[in-house]
Formats: sequence, structure tokens, C-alpha cells
Amino acid sequence: MEDKKSQAVKSKPIAIGMAFALLAILPQILGPGDLSLVNEMLILGVAASGLNLMMGYAGMVSFGPAGLYVVGAYTMALLLFYTELPFGIALVAAPVIAGIVSLVVGWFCVRLTHVYFSLLTLAFSQIIHTIIFEWYGFTKGDDGIVDIRVPGFIDSITNYYYFTLIIAGISLALIWMIVKSPFGKTLQAIRENPDRTEFIGIHVRSYQLAAFVLSGVFLGVAGALYCGFSHSVFPDFGDIMKSTEILVVCLLGGIYHFLGPMVGAVVYMFLDKTISSYTEYWPLVLGVVIVLLVIFLRGGIVGFVTEKIAMAKQRKTAEAEDYVSS
Amino acid sequence: MFLVENLSKSFGGLNAVSNVSFELKQGELISIIGPNGAGKTTLFNLLTGHIKPDRGKITFRGKNITGKAPHQICRQGIGRSFQRTNIFPRLSTFDNVHVSLMAWRRKSRNIFNRSDKLFGKETVEILEKIGLEDKQGTTAGLLAHGDQRLLEIGIALATHPKLVLLDEPTAGMSPEESNKSIKLVQRLVREQDLTLLFIEHDMNIVFDISERILVMHMGTIMTEGNPEEVRANDEVQRIYLAEEQ
Amino acid sequence: MSGLSVGMVIFLIAVGLSLIFGTLKVLNLAHAAFYMLGAYLCFWVSSLIGQSIGSFWVSLLIAPLLVALFGGIVEMLLLRKIYDREVLDQFLLTFALILIIGDLCKLAWGVDYHTVDTPWPLNAPVIFKGLIFPRYNLFIILFAPLLWAGLWSLIHKTRLGSIIRAVTHNREMASALGVNVSYVYTGVFMLGCWLAGLGGALVAPMSAVMPGMDAVVLIDCFIIVVVGGLGSLSGAFLGSVIFGLVTAFGILIAPRLAIAFGFILMIVVLIIRPWGLMGKPE
Repeated sequence: MEDKKSQAVKSKPIAIGMAFALLAILPQILGPGDLSLVNEMLILGVAASGLNLMMGYAGMVSFGPAGLYVVGAYTMALLLFYTELPFGIALVAAPVIAGIVSLVVGWFCVRLTHVYFSLLTLAFSQIIHTIIFEWYGFTKGDDGIVDIRVPGFIDSITNYYYFTLIIAGISLALIWMIVKSPFGKTLQAIRENPDRTEFIGIHVRSYQLAAFVLSGVFLGVAGALYCGFSHSVFPDFGDIMKSTEILVVCLLGGIYHFLGPMVGAVVYMFLDKTISSYTEYWPLVLGVVIVLLVIFLRGGIVGFVTEKIAMAKQRKTAEAEDYVSS
Repeated sequence: MFLVENLSKSFGGLNAVSNVSFELKQGELISIIGPNGAGKTTLFNLLTGHIKPDRGKITFRGKNITGKAPHQICRQGIGRSFQRTNIFPRLSTFDNVHVSLMAWRRKSRNIFNRSDKLFGKETVEILEKIGLEDKQGTTAGLLAHGDQRLLEIGIALATHPKLVLLDEPTAGMSPEESNKSIKLVQRLVREQDLTLLFIEHDMNIVFDISERILVMHMGTIMTEGNPEEVRANDEVQRIYLAEEQ
Repeated sequence: MSGLSVGMVIFLIAVGLSLIFGTLKVLNLAHAAFYMLGAYLCFWVSSLIGQSIGSFWVSLLIAPLLVALFGGIVEMLLLRKIYDREVLDQFLLTFALILIIGDLCKLAWGVDYHTVDTPWPLNAPVIFKGLIFPRYNLFIILFAPLLWAGLWSLIHKTRLGSIIRAVTHNREMASALGVNVSYVYTGVFMLGCWLAGLGGALVAPMSAVMPGMDAVVLIDCFIIVVVGGLGSLSGAFLGSVIFGLVTAFGILIAPRLAIAFGFILMIVVLIIRPWGLMGKPE
């Protein structure tokens, strides 16, 4: 019985190459509106992939990823607004600050497990949201910060798309590296059985904290990307609706697969924009979709597809064996 | 090699373990028996660092390991299997042993290399030792129960322990599986010069392979000796008969 | 005064949330949505009956029952499927309910706000030593603790209550003893929803019935339940008191950041004693 994973690994480089080629020529095919949508999908995909590093691989369910996302966005925005620092510095600062915040928040959170861990992440993200919302003097509160400067050479829809594509590509490559490393496998062991992992010599808590911080870094990158994309930041980048959006995206695509979150982001944004154009009751539709997802499609889209492929392959093998023996 | 002195632990008012002392020599194969509630699992949890003792001292190969955290005790060279099957269900059989091996080799913090490239051969060697190398691609949660218990031993072996604590290794196994598993354990003990301490309820196995038996009752070690001595001991008969009633 | 009565309402809702978590072990994010539904139904029923003297009181009776009924349907159709699942599933499913219930209310009653008149005989103020107290608020302040006492008696003094407590403590054992755990789960969930719906109906005369009224209440309830202990009735009471004090303190010191005080309280409790002041560690 061949390992499902090894099959996926073999076909991956080819698939990635093709995907990148397609993504690279998209600006020639799509209009600015659609290209913008794909841009947003990529950013959401980075955020969700960052979250999934902690959630899907390490089994730590955070209810407040938007807290780190908004920290990344506002770090970039505030630096660009208040100082003359170049865009590049702000872009690097965002994940760094997000990482530091996740270190502090995570230090407290990893001391808890299960529902208490999740509730604590929720509380922290709500505090971050409240601070940003209320600290009018510094963050401009509900007004948000607008007209954020973006360097000329990436300031068009097409060029910012390429910029996002590159950053997203690098981010995903890094996440892939982490996931495939001994550290990544150890995280999965922690997800499966923290007690057992403790007794193969691993100090589980410090690994969980590391996962938390790495997640925060990538969420910060996504936040910074969105800041540049929309030239503005608002406190609702960090509210519970945004957190849930990132969570839903992960679940939609499949939390046990590397590309699950990215696939989820694409499908989610597509549904959002499409359905919102027909009806103002997108929350209702989203709610129903989530219910169906949770009850029936636990493995997400990628999980479902992978299962079907595996079943089809087994059937083919069985048929071939029948054929040979007859 | 392994010295336990006056180990005690109580929960609330209940003395789970009181003043337990014993010594293990290198290469010995010892079993702990006793009726339910005698404190065997609590004793195990104390030895592996899952709970801290109220009093007492544990020395392993000259080092004091009393009160140390589980992952530190593991690094000293003590391996353990758990009462409930304790594997990594969604990982493959290969990965179950591989992740344990990488931990022992202190490579787990590494985020730069591809894990598949490391220690593949060694992992397969361990799998061969426990007889699961042809199932290495199978998801561990889908293995037969007996194979899962074997995998458990494999995970413990990958940390290259000198002392292995097995908590009811044949629980839930059919007689053939038990037999196969125990033969394997005996072979490993000889090959790797392991010291083995296990809790077991299956008296056939206990009397068949133990060199020495510790009998626990109500939190203390009531008596110890070789299988004939224990079998002939009246008190032991009594506490087990009492339990059966 | 209005703060205190609003606090009482939130306390009632928190009790329901705590009950649901304690017995069903489910984190019901949609609890505040049931509260909002109660408010809307109260408005709807009273406007159906027409503005008459008893209309509010009839609504107060009916609306929570309707919410409980709706809750029962939700429990049987949806919640049952995720009882043994992880926290993520509970979070997402109950969050989805927030979205669904919210939009259903919008569909049924539009996005504008609605009001319900303060009912007779409580629409005249009480004047005491020169200070004016709205009678309705007084009513709530008196009613809520009475209700809590009634609930407490139900849980601790009746046979039904002991069944609920048995299921809360040890589901398997209760089941082995012949208790139909499914019925108990449905019943407790309906009770929790009834409390939330009651809270909504009570609030209707005091503030506007409109979309989004569930959001503020939800956060407060969660903080109270975490502080007091998930599953404890007296914990909900204690939690409400502490939360009220901390928030009042916060308003005194830093009015804009008063909400943050509540979260800080939640964080402190989660770190020091995650199962809450009156809760039990698992």
C-alpha cells in the first residue's frame, strides 16, 4: 500500500511549476477587477497557511489569528504613516513585530490546552482589537489609516499582483520547508499525542510556542501585504469576523493538507464576491456553507479530493488484478 | 542501575504509593503484579516523571532523576509504553518510529532539512526488529491492535533506552499476539542488553519470562522474589483470591 | 440603574450559556443570537396582539418558549452531530448559527430598529428620596435573582435537577444508570435557549431591537462564564458581579478602554485558574 503522501510529493514539483506559470501569465488574461480578486485570494491564502502551521500541523486551535494579522497590517501602516522609513523596511518590520507579539501572547497561551487555549487566544485578539480601535491618538481608531504610500514601481494592480505573488511564493516555500523538516514532523506528533511526544524526549511546550510564533510571523506578512494592497488599514482587520474567516478558509480547503488553506482561500473569496453580487444575505449563505462543511466535509476540499483519488486508484488496482488473474 | 528509595505519593487523603523501594540490575527482566488499585500505574507515572513524588528518591545509572520532567527522563535513557495504545494515529507507521528517532538524535528542532532524508535506514532497521517493516506506509491508526502495541515498542526503542518500562504490553491481545509480542520483547532485551520493568496481568507471561517479580498491594511492595517463590507465597495467593471474589 | 438592570439581563443569559457548556460541553457562540431572537420575537408577538395592556406580558411568556423550541430543533438537527468533535467544529458551527440567525432576523424584520413599549404597570417611575428609578428596571433587578434562585432550586433540589447534574458530571455513568442522555441534552439546551430568549424579551422595552445587538452581549457573557466557571450556576452569579465591578472600575479609570478591562479579567482568570472561580478542573 503506497503512502498517499509520497505520491503527492512526487507530482508536486510539476504541479507547482505549472501553477506558477499560470499565475504568472494571469495579468494577461484577467481584467483589473478579477486580478485584484486573485491578489486578495493569495493574501488570504498566506494568512490561512500561516494559521494552519499551528492549527493543522501542531493541532493548536486559535480563535484569534486576526489579532496577529492586524498587528502586521498596522505595524506597516504606522511605520509608513509616521516615519520616512522605506517600504521595504516596513514590510520586514511587520512580521517581526507580529512575531514578537505572538511570542508574548503565545507564552501565556501554550500553558493551557484545548478549549481554554482557544478562549485565551480569543481574549488576546480582542484586546489587540480594542487597543487599536480605541487608541485614536496613535492608530486613528475607527477612522483607520488611509492613503498609505506604496513605492511607485509596485503601485499598479498588475505590479502589486506580481509583488504579492513573489512574497506569497516565498512564504509558502518557507512554510513547506518547515512542514517537511524534523521540526514539522515533530509538530504533527505533538498534534497526535502530546503525552507520547513528551516521552520521546521533546519539551512539547517550547515546540508549541515556536509554532505559535511562526504562525504569527506569516499572519503578519499577510497583514502587511493587505495593507499595501488596499493602501489602508482599519481596526476590523482584527475583529472576530476576520478571525473566523481565516479559520473557515483553513477548514474549507482542508487543515491536514499543505495546500488546503490556499485552496480554501480561493474558493472562499470566489464565493464571497459571487454571492455578494446577487444578494445581501451572504452571511446566511456563508453560515449554511460552514454548517455543511463542519458536518459533512471535515477534511475540506483537498481532503475530499485526495480521498476520492485514493479510492479510485484502489479500484483501478483491484480491477487490474482481476483482469490479470482472469 | 536503577534504584528507587522510599517513594511515596498520595492524592488527597489516599496513599497511592507508600514507601516503595527496590533495585534493578542491568539486564534484568522484572515484572510488577498486583490487584487493581494496588498502585502500579501510579508507580509507573512517578518513575517516568508524569507526576512528582511527595517523598523518596529515584536514581538511574548514578544520576538522581527524582522529580525531573518526562522529556528529561527520557533523555537519560528510560523508555516507556503506555496502558492505552499510545501511538501517533494519523502518521504512517514509518513516521511514528522516525519522529521518535529524530528526537533521540536531537534533530527535532531542525527546520531546514528535509526530514525524509535523515535516518531512513535506521528507522527501517527498527521496524524490522519489531516486524512491521512491510507495513511502514500504513497509517498507524489503521493497524491491527496487536501491531499498534508492537509499534509502541518500536517508538520506545527508537529512543535507545537502557531501561524500558512497559505498562501492560499485552493488554487486549489475543493469545497468539501476546505470545509473538513477548517473544519479541525477550529477544530485544537480549540483543540490546535492555533492562525491562513491566506491569502485567497475564500470569502466564509473568511467570514464564520474569526473572524477578514484585508484588504490589495497597501502594506498597508486599513481597518480591523469583517466580517459584512468588507462586508459592500464601499471602500472594490470598490477595489475588480475594480480588477474584 | 440601567447599567445594573442590563447587567442582570446579561447575567441571565450567562447562566444559560454556563448550563449549556457545563452539561453538553459545547461552547455555544450562538447563545447571544438566541437572545436577539428572543427580543425580535417579543416585538413580533406584541405587535401581533396589538398595543393592549397585557401584550408585553403575553410576549414575555411566549417569545422565550418559541426560542426554546427553535433551540430544540437546532440541537436535534445540528448540534447532536458535533458533540464528540473538537473545539474547532463547535466554534465554527455555532458561529455559523450566529450568521444564519442574524440574517434570518434581518429577512423577517428588516434592518431598521424596532421598539417595544414599556408595559403597564411598570411604565411609571418610582420616586424615592428625590431620586427617580424607572420601575421597569427595578422589576428586572428583582426578577433576575428570583429566577436564578428558582433555577438553582430546580438544579439542586429536584429529581430532574439531579438527573441533569448526573449527566453533567459523568455522562457514561448516567447513561448506564438508565438516563436518556439525548433527552437531557436537548432539554438542557432548550432551557439555556429559553433563558437567552427571556433575556432578549426582557431587554426589548429598554433598548432598541436591531441587528447586531447580540455582539456586545456575547463577549460579556463569555467573560462572565469563563470567570465564574463553565458549568456553574453560582459561578455565573459570581462572575457577573465581578465582571460588573471590574467594568465599572474600568469606566472610572479609562472610559475608552473599559472593554479591555473585561478581557484582561478573562485573561487573568484563564491563566491562573482556567476552569473559573467555581468551576471544576477536568
